[in-house]
Amino acid sequence: MPHTLAGHPVPPGSALLLGGSFLLRTGTGYAFHYVRGDGVTVERAVGADPAEQELWLNGSVHAAIAAINGFLPFHASAVAWDGQVFAVSGPSGAGKSTLAAALGRHGLPLFCDDTLVLDISDPARVRCLPGRKRLKLSEEALVLTGARGREKVSPMVAKRYAEPAGGVVEAVLPLGQLIFLADGDSIRLEPISGARRMVLLDDDHYTAEFVAVARGESRAERFAWLAGLARRTPMQQLTRPRDVAQFDAVAARLADWIKKGVRP
Amino acid sequence: MTGVLAKRGDAFSETTIDDEVVLLNLADGTFFSLTGTAARIWGLIDGTRDRAALLADLAAAYGVPTAAIAPDVEAFLAQLGEAGFLERG
Repeated sequence: MPHTLAGHPVPPGSALLLGGSFLLRTGTGYAFHYVRGDGVTVERAVGADPAEQELWLNGSVHAAIAAINGFLPFHASAVAWDGQVFAVSGPSGAGKSTLAAALGRHGLPLFCDDTLVLDISDPARVRCLPGRKRLKLSEEALVLTGARGREKVSPMVAKRYAEPAGGVVEAVLPLGQLIFLADGDSIRLEPISGARRMVLLDDDHYTAEFVAVARGESRAERFAWLAGLARRTPMQQLTRPRDVAQFDAVAARLADWIKKGVRP
Repeated sequence: MTGVLAKRGDAFSETTIDDEVVLLNLADGTFFSLTGTAARIWGLIDGTRDRAALLADLAAAYGVPTAAIAPDVEAFLAQLGEAGFLERG
């Protein structure tokens, strides 16, 4: 297992993506090395938590491999309805996974958790690749969403793997809407327009960096495809109170909006 | 800058989304969003007008005296100049 990539040192706790290669060294005894065409090599130190391997593989490594192979990984949890994907995005801790899982109670199957991989090669439409990550929820979120809890993710993570009440979909589907979460006093859905579409798409710094490096593109080139993606991606803002007592109402409102197919 | 107003094409990338003009400053990666009058002024900076002509066209379009809009237009042009989006005339 190399500790450098093309001569660049990659110390524990860091990652480097260069061309068709990716090296991630965690601070917990793992190293993951991907080379396009050769697959992934995993190194696990004695004493490292075996349960972590899946988390890293389906997290940072999955996102980097997607970027290297021309896809756009995007932080979002998504459900499917009527042959389209409806993805919930927002800052870390905003409740993307919990809300997407809760939509299962309303008959909307889960499409992905945390990372949505987009195929933006077709200028006419954006396609979504089904997720690889297993749904992970806290004990409180299990109750809120009606998902069935399974084993603990790891001794260090206060979450359990979970099966969403609405099941899962494993098919390549077109993107219907990107829904961005925002805090507010009331529940409302509003279309996002103009430059804000580009800003929100560009705001996902963790995956954006992977994509920028993998594509080896200039600012102007990145701007051009971001603009194209923004133009052909309908976006909504879901404003809602961060109040557990209103969580069911938020999920019901979003499920109803998705099912009605009424687009402002 | 007293001559013809012209854009520095190598300083920015431009696109339009939902009637908003979006500019990317290629030097530092910052976005600019132009709507309404600002977008209109940006469209009028096409290398054929000086300040007076731009003000006259804008005043005619909005049915107002040039003196009423001159300060705001000057301030906006100054912003564009500071961003490096205009040729030095």
